[in-house]
Amino acid sequence: MTQQSGAAFTRRAFIGAAGGIAATTLLAACTRTGGSTGGGNASGGVLKFWNMPWGTPAFLTEDKKIIAGFKKGGFTASYQQIQWANFTTQFATGASSNTGPAVSSGGGTTSVLYAHDGKIQYMDDLINGAWTTNGLKDDFLPGMLDALKTTEGTTGVPYNLDVRPAWYNKKLFTQYGLQIPTTWDEYKTVCATLKTKGIYGFGVGSGAGNNIGFHAITGFMINNGGGWFDSNQKPAADTAANEEALDFVLELVRQGYSDPASSTYTNQNVYTQWQNHKIAYGIDTAGMAANVTGAVSSEVAVADPLTSPSGNKGFLYFPNPMMMWNNTPSKTANQDLITYYYQNMAPLWTQKTGIGLPPLKSIANDPTVSGDPNNQKIIQDWVTPGIFKTWGAPGNSGVFFNVANTVDGTQPTYTFAQQVLTPSNRQTAKQMLTAFQTTLEGLMK
Amino acid sequence: MSTETVSGALKRARNGVGVSGSGRAPGGTKKRGKAVKFTGTFLAFALPSVVLLLLLNFYPVIYAGWQSLHFGDLVNAGPFVWFQNYASVLTSAQFWTAALFTLVFTVVGVFGSWAVGLGLALLLRTRIPLNGMWKVLLLLPWVVPTVVSATSWNWLVATPQSPLPVLAHALGFGNVLFLADPTLARVTVCIFKVWISFPFMMMMMSSALASVDTNVYEASRVDGANAWQTFTRITLPMVSRTTYVSWILMTIFCVNDFPTIFLLTAGGPSNATQTLVVQAYSSVFQNNQVGPGVATAFLMTIVLVIVSVVLYRQIQKVNIE
Repeated sequence: MTQQSGAAFTRRAFIGAAGGIAATTLLAACTRTGGSTGGGNASGGVLKFWNMPWGTPAFLTEDKKIIAGFKKGGFTASYQQIQWANFTTQFATGASSNTGPAVSSGGGTTSVLYAHDGKIQYMDDLINGAWTTNGLKDDFLPGMLDALKTTEGTTGVPYNLDVRPAWYNKKLFTQYGLQIPTTWDEYKTVCATLKTKGIYGFGVGSGAGNNIGFHAITGFMINNGGGWFDSNQKPAADTAANEEALDFVLELVRQGYSDPASSTYTNQNVYTQWQNHKIAYGIDTAGMAANVTGAVSSEVAVADPLTSPSGNKGFLYFPNPMMMWNNTPSKTANQDLITYYYQNMAPLWTQKTGIGLPPLKSIANDPTVSGDPNNQKIIQDWVTPGIFKTWGAPGNSGVFFNVANTVDGTQPTYTFAQQVLTPSNRQTAKQMLTAFQTTLEGLMK
Repeated sequence: MSTETVSGALKRARNGVGVSGSGRAPGGTKKRGKAVKFTGTFLAFALPSVVLLLLLNFYPVIYAGWQSLHFGDLVNAGPFVWFQNYASVLTSAQFWTAALFTLVFTVVGVFGSWAVGLGLALLLRTRIPLNGMWKVLLLLPWVVPTVVSATSWNWLVATPQSPLPVLAHALGFGNVLFLADPTLARVTVCIFKVWISFPFMMMMMSSALASVDTNVYEASRVDGANAWQTFTRITLPMVSRTTYVSWILMTIFCVNDFPTIFLLTAGGPSNATQTLVVQAYSSVFQNNQVGPGVATAFLMTIVLVIVSVVLYRQIQKVNIE
């Protein structure tokens, strides 16, 4: 009797566990294909608006307030916050099952990714029509409207600018008599001095969830006139400009100017090292001053863009988009909602909700935004001169479908950055770029 | 009841006929009609749940199988490529590196947590002060969410200024990079796995040990068995069924353990700690390559089912013995 019940228990446990395995490991399969049509012009209804937490909890409050105020042509909008932790799956599920939003924000490549699948309502009519008349088109910072344009049309418009400027610690620089570097050579000299004080001059990380390491490496390539794609949107990793830039980064690592443990640093680990005064110069987001806590928050400042040996300036940025989806009760209402949103979204910046830099001149020039010295420095010295480039550089001004499959947060990019940031790695820049070129080609669709 | 009557009743019982008669008692047809009606009602009530269960379990599996034969993304399945995804996965060096580490991670996770759990279960059987409190405290690694544990371990080991590297440096081991050095990162995630899993094993083994008759130990002592003989000849065989069950469960937990690796190292540095489940996730959700990712998950599941069946047969053997 005991044996029987024991066997029954284990069999049940086994079957249950096997079901669990299937459910867990094959969760990825729980989406379905299906064409997205929609897009009629109903006389009224509710438009789904999805947005991610781009800032502090105050962001959600302000954002909800903006959406609650929309009412036009019998349409209102509902608000749904999508967490970053699962935003990829949420959008994939929503798009494939036609339960997604009518209007939403997205990651740097979300709009081009779903435009490729026929899910996105192109914005050219709106930009060249109503937005030209009401002045919104001219209000965008230079080059912004081209960032999300594909050969088929404009997939979205920049909503906030996620930039990667250089930061330094003013207090430590003053203490050790250092000048803010403006060239690669000056930067190396600064790093060498900092090393003698036990401080790292190349502060980045590439651990769990932290892709700043790869962004920084890409940034130095763009800085040197390079990047990952040619004008045919094909991978072009193995170029002279990239090799020179990677040689420079490898030198920074191998000379001991970066933390030897940084290859597995999370964002928080990097901020902790800034707080510990172990990092005095590095690459990060526009919001770094808010992310490092304590006294260091007021010690850090945005540095000058570096000039590479090729005479170029430049770094990487992500034009995070706002986009319209085909799965909507009314495409006209979509246009009304996104227009309303752009005309009323200023409080997200003026109320200091922590969102990235604004894409509109009118908001960027608002004293509450430009009054922040770091924001002002980024807008004046990094954004306005147009030195920031997208993943598509050097051959493209914007992003496109294969960027999402190859370099935007893919696993090989983490691996590449971790190899670069490992001091004991003895591969040459040429070897690494040749191998990465093959990897990128394998990821292309 | 006469002997003849009893044997006849037993015969009827073996033939599935009630001892009270031949089954043709007055009103039998009516009763059977009621039984059929009851069965029908029962099935009608059970059917929605059964259909739902079938849909929940089989639909994703079948759909995943279909996806693994295509080369597309999360929205569009893409072209049908037969078994090309399986071939590309099986011929990829990265897959075999991940498979090897999954094996190491699982073996260390299962036997490491079992050894620690059994040891502690044996210790907690003895009369130690505050026994109940220790049991509760020792359960904490299992009870605390993995995300919290992983964050705590990251704080403990990630930077050269973290407590464990500082301790290692003070002990003369130099600058120890627990997560940045590929070999040490493998060791660290395996130890972390043992740490978060041993309470489960401790619970399983404690319950198994509690069911062992203490008279057996007394008899062995009388027969002159030493501690090692008692442990290997009595304790281990007596808890073997529970041991096999816990090994099956822990094997499944380890192979499918996504958060431990993803939160601590995300598979790095340079793929050193990448397991198959992390690789499947990366392929689907980071590289946007659903077919190869699902193929990896399928291959993983097949191996897991084989391992589970082998261990399950061990349990049956133990039952027979």
